Amino acid sequence: MAGAAAKTTLVHRPAWRVTGRWVGITGLLAFLIAPIVPLFIWSISFRWFYPAILPTEYSARAWTEVINPNNDVVGVAWNTALIALVVTAFSILLGVPAGRALGLYEFRGKRLVEWLILAPIIVPGLAVVLGIHVLFIRAGLSNSLPGVILVHLVPTLPYMTLVMSGVFANYDTDFELQARSLGAGRLATQWYVTLPAIFPGVVVGAMFAFIISWSQYVLTLLIGGGQVQTLPLLLFSFVRSDPAIAGALSVVFILPAVLVLLLSSRYLSGDSAAVGGIGNI
Amino acid sequence: MTQVKLSGLTKRFDEKSEPAVDRLDIEIESGKLTALLGPSGCGKTTTMKMIAGLLRPTDGDILFDGSSIVGIAPEDRGAVMVFQNYLLFPYMSVADNIGFGLKMRGVSRSEIRTRVRDMLDLVQMPGFEERRPKQLSGGQQQRIALARALIVQPNVLLLDEPLSNLDAHLRDEMRELISGIQTELGITTVFVTHDQEEAVVLADKIALLFEGRLQQFDVPDAFYETPGTVDIAKFFGGTNFIPGRCEDGRITTAIGRFRAPHTAVDRGEAVLSIRPEAVELGGGGGNSVRGRIRSHVYVGRYARFRVMIGEVEIEVITDPGQVKKLSDGDEVSVRFDPDKIWILGPAADGKDGRADSDSARQPAG
Amino acid sequence: MNEKAPANPSRLPSLPRMRLSEKGARRMTIGVLLAPVIVVILLLFMGGLITGFLRSLGYFPLIGLNDFNFDAYLSIFTDNGFIRSFVLTFHIAFTSTVIASILAIASAMLLRPAFRGKRFVQFIFSLNLTIPHLVGAVGVLYLFSGSGLVSRLATGAGLIDAPAEFPALVFDPWAIGIIIQYVWKEIPFIGVIVLAILLSVGEDYESVARSLGANRWQAFRHVTLPLVMPGVVSASVIVFAFTFGAFEIPWLLGATFPKALPVLAFESYTDVDLAARPQAMAMAMVIAFMSSLMILAYMKLSRRYIRS
Repeated sequence: MAGAAAKTTLVHRPAWRVTGRWVGITGLLAFLIAPIVPLFIWSISFRWFYPAILPTEYSARAWTEVINPNNDVVGVAWNTALIALVVTAFSILLGVPAGRALGLYEFRGKRLVEWLILAPIIVPGLAVVLGIHVLFIRAGLSNSLPGVILVHLVPTLPYMTLVMSGVFANYDTDFELQARSLGAGRLATQWYVTLPAIFPGVVVGAMFAFIISWSQYVLTLLIGGGQVQTLPLLLFSFVRSDPAIAGALSVVFILPAVLVLLLSSRYLSGDSAAVGGIGNI
Repeated sequence: MTQVKLSGLTKRFDEKSEPAVDRLDIEIESGKLTALLGPSGCGKTTTMKMIAGLLRPTDGDILFDGSSIVGIAPEDRGAVMVFQNYLLFPYMSVADNIGFGLKMRGVSRSEIRTRVRDMLDLVQMPGFEERRPKQLSGGQQQRIALARALIVQPNVLLLDEPLSNLDAHLRDEMRELISGIQTELGITTVFVTHDQEEAVVLADKIALLFEGRLQQFDVPDAFYETPGTVDIAKFFGGTNFIPGRCEDGRITTAIGRFRAPHTAVDRGEAVLSIRPEAVELGGGGGNSVRGRIRSHVYVGRYARFRVMIGEVEIEVITDPGQVKKLSDGDEVSVRFDPDKIWILGPAADGKDGRADSDSARQPAG
Repeated sequence: MNEKAPANPSRLPSLPRMRLSEKGARRMTIGVLLAPVIVVILLLFMGGLITGFLRSLGYFPLIGLNDFNFDAYLSIFTDNGFIRSFVLTFHIAFTSTVIASILAIASAMLLRPAFRGKRFVQFIFSLNLTIPHLVGAVGVLYLFSGSGLVSRLATGAGLIDAPAEFPALVFDPWAIGIIIQYVWKEIPFIGVIVLAILLSVGEDYESVARSLGANRWQAFRHVTLPLVMPGVVSASVIVFAFTFGAFEIPWLLGATFPKALPVLAFESYTDVDLAARPQAMAMAMVIAFMSSLMILAYMKLSRRYIRS
């Protein structure tokens, strides 16, 4: 009925309360946007000495340097994306089946497994990467691309698994049985029935796995040992020396995040995105 | 005890759309049980929320004992609403739920404890203090929600679909409980329902709403015997309608002319309405016509016939014995008792002349 | 057509044709599905953790150290610098988590009702979830350093005359810049969870409370807050563990002394003096221990949350 469909709003909304809400929302927005603003300004500034509030001269120097193919930046960006893509692919490949097991079945030791998978999400990377570094030196994986990819799996794989476990918890396997009884083989069932049902979850999980790898700093720094360059390392090296380049790099660094958010809003009805633990990114 | 008056009460959820509640004028008697009845989307819950202070009216006024309460905050109105899905606070015990209103008023813990116990007795659930809402059945939750509202001694008790979430056998029990408590405490009570039977059984008076507008505000039997319009009669269901023209206590229809002293319109376009159980088969005499039995079902306690009179099909409910005497295809005399015919104004939507029976049961919503 | 024999058995779904016992087959399936992830986590995560733990105990067979000792732990726990770092790190994590939680609840309450431009505000709100921490840290640096944008604005407004007069908000002993960055990043994280709870619960509980005589504040205090609290607490646990162990933000925004624990551990590990390595490992174990406490809390809370 109309009353139930319409949201209940309480009577009495004096003007100051409405104004207060807008002041609050504006303040919140300003706070959220504030740190991004100087990055943009720096990226197009040429001269910006204290105490000028805005640059006295603008230039596209930082941007031309960042997108110049002869410089490292483009290569490093590709490198970062390549690492993130491989990490994402492995996360999907391993995480989807594991999520299926956790989401669909009850079994002995399930809590232990959940604990094991939750741990890398909560335990900070630094606490384990020192030990991993020791192991990787012995295995010859330190200072190498495969080593970096492997170590990136530590945060992304559990994340993907948990997302998929949530997806499978709401998935009805009777659809698969129905398909089998209608004559579909194992593979056909996976392809035509299972995959479409879990696809939105896989997309969202994959996008966030990508972002987690893309943003990784300390794991790459230690395991890559300076031999594997990624965007965050590059950005860090310019923060003090050249704010204009750092600003432009930051903007490049944000781009996938914006893209992911725009894309994932197609698959997420809005507010469940963070529940899986995106704050760790 | 409080008398509630709605005056030109209007609610629009946005500028463009039709109002959800449209210029409602109802005077709810003090100490009585009044039903707001209507199909889903008719604005009855919206009306109730406005009385409770949970929605702000767009226009019009709500008066408690003659003084406007529109500007008063919900917590200060003394009008407590019990929601359809009970909404017991899930993280509180039963006792904390019931005592909530008193705690908000700063009543001492010991007094709250005593009064909670009294309330649990009143709703016949003594000893349930420490249970959690999750551990209760739907009917029990409903009782606790009722106790939680009654403990603050409201001037006006507002019940949103109090019976709709209950199983059939619990419904009778809860109906008796509500009616008993209401009579005992004499609280002015308004309840919302989409079920006309529920309204008829429970209410002293019924306000019927369609699309936000008041259709009829009357005692329950009036809706069966003297409904104001065809739509109202259809909502209460199970009636035969035959269009015609009326004049001087008679109505002329496609199937004949009938004496009908009880009318809502004096002359002109009109609709003859008669309940299926008021139609007599066989017999003959005044006000009768010839018809042919088209089909019948034997229901046990009664039998239902479909009878064609010319081009018009009507429904007749008789005692089950008739099944032995009449078979499909038989010609039969059909009598409309003049005292049981009610003449209505023409249907608002100008529908065609085909008799239209058992049409009006609205889906639950 | 009626005469046809029952369907060809080979076309029947093969699923029910199980040789193994039902239970055994199920266990197989679960094992096969889970094994790869478990192997990776055991090898990398647990392997790293255990290696770190052994090294923190001085066990290093390659160079002939086969004994266990607590020297590293003894030396860090008696080191004033480490204690200062620990306290600072706890302060960073605790303060950030509390402030972010409170502001997140407030933000979620602000964003709950429908208003014009809500989609845009929500987009900006959730954008922070995906923006890398490092970018936020660089932004905070360029905003709040002595010659940062805020300092320039303050000069422009005539509040200060030189960068040196601007209060130290980055590289400062109170880690204000670090906390600002964490609060900035975690408000949306906790806020989105709170908002999801608020929207799924709806406003009816509050309406009931108001109808029963609670005023606006009482309805928030006794109804809204208890409803969102389980979500806030489990999100806070994650935030605390993260902020306790995150490296790059204090690495960029922190003071030279005291350093945040993760920075101290990293620097000890990469120190040319190999003797500092067991201590670095010990610090890593302290961080791991603090976050394990958080995991325990999280498991307990989430279980209670599910039950209620």
